[in-house]
Amino acid sequence: MNNLMIKLMLICMVSMVTATVYADPEKDKQLLTDFFKARFAGVPLQEFANGSYAYDTIGRASWEAIEEFPPYEIAVDEGEAMWETPFANGKSYQDCFPDGPAIGHKYPHWDDKQGKVVTMALAINQCREANGEKPLKYKKGSINNILSYVSFLSRGKKTQVVIPENNKDAMAAYEDGKKFFFTRRGQLNFSCATCHIQNAGMKIRSEVLSPALGQTTHFPVYRSKWGAVGTLHRRFTGCNKQVRAKPFKAQGEQYRNLEYFLTYMSNGLELNGPGARK
Amino acid sequence: MIRKSKRLLSMTGALFIAASLPTSVTLAEASGSNIEEGKKLAFTRSKGNCLACHMIKGGDSPGTIAPPLLMMKSRFPDKKVLKAQVWDASKRNPETSMPLFGRYEILTEDEVDKVVDFIHSL
Amino acid sequence: MKIVTIIILSIAISLISSVAVAGDQKAAESAIAAAEQSRKKAASVDGEWRDTGKMIKKAQAAMKDGKFDKAIKIANFAERQGQYGYEQAVSQKTLTMPSYLK
Repeated sequence: MNNLMIKLMLICMVSMVTATVYADPEKDKQLLTDFFKARFAGVPLQEFANGSYAYDTIGRASWEAIEEFPPYEIAVDEGEAMWETPFANGKSYQDCFPDGPAIGHKYPHWDDKQGKVVTMALAINQCREANGEKPLKYKKGSINNILSYVSFLSRGKKTQVVIPENNKDAMAAYEDGKKFFFTRRGQLNFSCATCHIQNAGMKIRSEVLSPALGQTTHFPVYRSKWGAVGTLHRRFTGCNKQVRAKPFKAQGEQYRNLEYFLTYMSNGLELNGPGARK
Repeated sequence: MIRKSKRLLSMTGALFIAASLPTSVTLAEASGSNIEEGKKLAFTRSKGNCLACHMIKGGDSPGTIAPPLLMMKSRFPDKKVLKAQVWDASKRNPETSMPLFGRYEILTEDEVDKVVDFIHSL
Repeated sequence: MKIVTIIILSIAISLISSVAVAGDQKAAESAIAAAEQSRKKAASVDGEWRDTGKMIKKAQAAMKDGKFDKAIKIANFAERQGQYGYEQAVSQKTLTMPSYLK
């Protein structure tokens, strides 16, 4: 009986602590979801994975036309070739990622041993370097091919970022990313939230602002403006420059933590990358 | 000899005084040129870029983030209040979506005055 | 006599102007150093603005060209940018959720 009592008490205590640890991110996600449900009544939740095309009917029409001959197809094919080609030492990506390549939904995640958020891009380069290969650049170039391949094969998998229970460091990374998102920066004094929550759906000149909800499901993304596929951190860089803030390092701590927070906000939404955008 | 140098001195003196006169005079009423220059600044992407968020007569593809700029004299009877808004919009609304054109020196004070003259004329 | 006066006068003038130039150079260097310090301060709180570093480079180039007034003007603006960026970041030290998300 005593043993059972102790076990019950322990369970109560643990669940109280975990309840505290999980309370905020889930609350954040709920607030964000409620906001978008209210602003865009009638739009199914999964549609937000299509960005502004969830509510910009004119933009959506051109996008659907583009998707008939997806501009990211070549990247996916080249990514497949990369995945299948062994490294000089005979090993391959499959050895680093035995569950791969459909593993997009497993990133980003908190890596306790490394004490940081690990993104898909970071993991790819860590795999390369562990096998004597040169790391790839994080914004442009061939990393987008292998990311497109992983992303394409991961379509349909649900976003499921986990903040490990009772892990202060992981929670701190989430909070850091969240703070980044809501902090005004640059000479133009905008936060990510200014455009992607507060003014989502409005037009800045002729561009319809996309929602923060669903923002990470479709990366890497082919942008007509780039004429190429680019990474999430490339887009972070561009956005920061546009508000006249000095951008941070791609795959540096700020952007990885931001990715951690932002992806958590899309938990439950199906991955649908690579995407195609203006 | 002496008369020549006296003339030279008085000419130099006159030139000096003329050169030190202020080159621009602030008028209570907006001058036509101020409004024209203000419009150019308002419509230039690297300057006011007002069309990014505001509908303005004479500009195309305006954004919809902020109110259209018309009937400005009835909305801002006091031009100083309009200037304060352009200078630092966060004073009236801490959650503003408007850049702080004066406070963060996106525009110089002279440029702000010209933009304000233009906007006030709408 | 007249020629000697002219020679002495021109030497004096060039000495005075070179001292003035050296003084302006010092002022420009000091303004650029202050700007760089201000930029670093903003960077230390992740608040650096996009153009501050570019401006400092422009000021350095102007100084090299002997355009000291221009260098000082640009450097002073860069210094202010560093200040604004620092204050902007520090004023948001504690995250407060916006009213539209409560």
